[in-house]
Amino acid sequence: MESRFPNRLLPYLLVLPSLVVVLVFLIVPSIQSFYLSLFRVSPFGNVLIFKGLRNFVTLLGDPAYLNSLIRSFFFTGFIVVVGLSVSLGLAVLANLPLAGVDIYRTALIWPFALSPAVAGTIWALLVDPSTGPITYLVERATGMRINWMTNGDLALLIVTAAATWKMLGYNVIFFLAGLQNVPKELLEAAHMDGAGTFQRFWKVTFPLLSPTTFFLFIMNSLYGFFEVFGLIDVMTQGGPGKATDILVYKLYEDGFVNFRTGYASAQSIVLFVFVAILTILQFRFAGRKVFYR
Amino acid sequence: MQITRTQRALAHITLTVSILLIVFPVVFALVTSTHSFQESFSFPPKFHVGSHLLDNYRAAWERVHMGRLLFNSTLISVAVAAGKIVLSILAAFAFTYFGEFRGKATLFILILITHMLPLPIRIVPTFELVEDFGWMNTYYALTIPFFASATGTLLFRQFFLTVPNDLADAARMDGAGPMKFLWKVLVPLSKTNMLALFMIEFIYMWNQYLWPLIVTQSNDMRVVQIGLKMLLAGEEQAAEWNVIMAGTILAMLPPLIILLILQGSFVKGFAMRQEK
Amino acid sequence: MKARKGTGALVLVLALALLLMPAVGQAVTKITFWHAMSGKRLPAVERIVNGFNQAHPDIQVEAQFMGKYKEVLAKTIAAVKSGNPPHLAQVYEVGLQTMLDSGVIVPVHTLFKEGEVDFGDVVGPIRDYYSVNGKLYSMPFNSSTAILYYNKDLFRKAGLDPNRPPTTFKELEEMGKKLVESGVVPNAFSTGWPAWIFEQAHAYHNQFYANNENGRKGRATQVLFNGPFGVKYLETMSRMAKEKVYIYGGREYSANKAFLSQQIAMLIQSTSSVGSIEAAAKGKFEVGTTFLPRFQDYSRGNSVIGGATLWVLKGHSDKEYAAVKEFLKWVIRPEVTAQWHKDTGYFPATNSALKLLMDEGWFAKHPNHLTAFLQVLSGVKTPMSQGVRLGNFVEIRNIVQTALENSFAGKADPKKALDEAAQEANRVLKEYSELYQ
Repeated sequence: MESRFPNRLLPYLLVLPSLVVVLVFLIVPSIQSFYLSLFRVSPFGNVLIFKGLRNFVTLLGDPAYLNSLIRSFFFTGFIVVVGLSVSLGLAVLANLPLAGVDIYRTALIWPFALSPAVAGTIWALLVDPSTGPITYLVERATGMRINWMTNGDLALLIVTAAATWKMLGYNVIFFLAGLQNVPKELLEAAHMDGAGTFQRFWKVTFPLLSPTTFFLFIMNSLYGFFEVFGLIDVMTQGGPGKATDILVYKLYEDGFVNFRTGYASAQSIVLFVFVAILTILQFRFAGRKVFYR
Repeated sequence: MQITRTQRALAHITLTVSILLIVFPVVFALVTSTHSFQESFSFPPKFHVGSHLLDNYRAAWERVHMGRLLFNSTLISVAVAAGKIVLSILAAFAFTYFGEFRGKATLFILILITHMLPLPIRIVPTFELVEDFGWMNTYYALTIPFFASATGTLLFRQFFLTVPNDLADAARMDGAGPMKFLWKVLVPLSKTNMLALFMIEFIYMWNQYLWPLIVTQSNDMRVVQIGLKMLLAGEEQAAEWNVIMAGTILAMLPPLIILLILQGSFVKGFAMRQEK
Repeated sequence: MKARKGTGALVLVLALALLLMPAVGQAVTKITFWHAMSGKRLPAVERIVNGFNQAHPDIQVEAQFMGKYKEVLAKTIAAVKSGNPPHLAQVYEVGLQTMLDSGVIVPVHTLFKEGEVDFGDVVGPIRDYYSVNGKLYSMPFNSSTAILYYNKDLFRKAGLDPNRPPTTFKELEEMGKKLVESGVVPNAFSTGWPAWIFEQAHAYHNQFYANNENGRKGRATQVLFNGPFGVKYLETMSRMAKEKVYIYGGREYSANKAFLSQQIAMLIQSTSSVGSIEAAAKGKFEVGTTFLPRFQDYSRGNSVIGGATLWVLKGHSDKEYAAVKEFLKWVIRPEVTAQWHKDTGYFPATNSALKLLMDEGWFAKHPNHLTAFLQVLSGVKTPMSQGVRLGNFVEIRNIVQTALENSFAGKADPKKALDEAAQEANRVLKEYSELYQ
């Protein structure tokens, strides 16, 4: 790239603020996570015992951690698969030339503004075992009183539903944007060739949308793994019976409630591996996409 | 694109039903926030609008010092959004208008890497760092660690790449330095992008929970999200859903308003660009 | 156009923010007091603090609600580490060992000079719980124990005698079945704090929960809750869960809600809920209270003290400690303690407060406030019933909690669940003693 403004020092100065924040608050602490994961630390931080890789060995043999892994994958998997499918469907509909489509669009995207904690609080109200409207409707329909405070699998399903609901708005925005980038001529051409509505969607729209879908896959995965802490904390605190004890919640409990700082750091490192995999996927895919276009 | 009348009707119906389902939780929350305590814990649940709206909002407001919490959340969200915009514009400018300076690729990757390091990955050391700085329970802890933005840097870089080079050349001919060019030309051109970024970062920060939970200690430093937790924690008698929902509505309003005002810029400036 | 609208919004938000900013006032000697009292207890705490502040214009106690007990403890630890601890922290009974080992506390018995405060006035079982070698380490504040609440109206509806609540687990189960079968309620009873009730059951039936006399003679290295008694208790509860007599009601106070909306007829819960339960049930149904149910074939111990005490933290000036002392003296004044009891249901912590309440005829008018007291005073003082002291008890209670939940839900066999929990808990104890040899 040609330099528009030949200046030796200035570009560094411009990058410096970002760089300082990145180094001090992101890179260095991440490296320290590795370091801490090799120790056992006392609650008040006054004792530090070197343990080598013991924390990792304990972690992988800990049934509570394996439980947490499985729960997390279900949770995130549901958000990605169900959330993206529903959002894509809604976005496609809201992309049709309908009367009042702007209202539909706005009505679809606003959940983006909700926080996980707000979503969790509202859903806790909806499914309150004694007074919730969903509890009531289910009882009317099936005669069964659902109680997510006792039923772990139900609790997991409910927190997952709440988390998915909250993410719909975000997904719809990006799908809508992606759909508007699909060239009309291509769809017209497919129409001329006699392709039906569904065929046009699968053969033309969906492939062209794949960068958006992939971007959302990444964002939803990160959301499912890292950003739903507030939702879990206000709804279930990981219970009942650790049924909603997803990785980020367990990490918090071990690090900041049980004060097993070293052990928590080891869990951080495992999470890092997940993100690394996602990132590699992203770069791979982005690379191919450039070629494809 | 042409669609048949039946398809059109089906689309209307599906969209309407879906939207009703999506809106229902919040509508019910709103309705509950008007109920008396007795109404809020009746079964079957009541769906009518009650007459205790003001009482409930006042109770929520007083119980967790909501005024202060809203102030804190607003302050840190605006500060972080603004901080991210400034830092990422500067960095993006460096990466697009200064040719191949030494270490450019490394620096670029270092900033992009923020995406790879969500808070939980580094939470214990970051927390300890903030302790060492003496930043516990301060606005510094709630804002500065969030200032770097890979998204923003990428967004502005992409945008700057689409700005015609003639503009920069012309500016240089007129004797304008790089900073003047940035301020007089690029910044005004980036308005849509800035608003888009402002919207997502404001909402992002407003909705932060885990970090404020661990770095704040006093009533006057808490944020709205933690206020919700505090309202909920008062469950020693039956959860006062009427009051809790009043608090919840207060907590969701500011980002919702920002979203409704800025969604246009957001779609134009961010979503449309993101996947290119 | 859009852009201008956006900028307008920004200005608006900022203006709003400025408007909302409260004025910050400077006081004389500021004392920070972190607590976990929410709901109806919050105004009760504020009443104490405001009364104190008004009487002491040179001292400003700032009461800060920090969340649940375990969060107050976590925050306190974090604050100590960052060198900015509060003056006073309300820590629950589970945090006792952690606080003792922390090296960051000022034991109250060293804070006060000889004779400055009459610790002998503190009600026996409470003093015993928080004393080490006869010396009090933290200031009793909110002590409670568990009792059984029941709904007399629902008892009548099910054809049960409203003045004969269950006294044994057997009766609990029988009456429960009757309540459920008669269709009066979908489930008969629930409990708050299930792991704490499990600990209570041990003490009440004279059973050790951990070795070394519950960690009071030496550091506990092994838990004993997976012994025959623990298994029997959990089997009974799990069976009742299966029969729909018992329904799990959350980890802390959520079960109160089911009781108040009359979906259950009995509730085992801390006595500290008596104030809020009576207030909320007023005009809807009649509340009765009684002692905890027992298994007959065990000797009698005593229900154990729960709740929390106020710990003084190191790192403050003498002037501040003088203010802290004033506040602590205020807290155990008979009239303050008595009011605290009336507002919440927590024990009046001193004998003189108790006397004050009796002289007023308070208990005659509020018999439900007396139940817990009678229960504790009628128990037998044994090594098993003075409370458990474990390293990192927070985590252990959490582990037990999970085991109980899994067993109640029918997802795990009671014995197996407890064995696994015990193994986990022993691991925690081992790690803890490694750190504090």
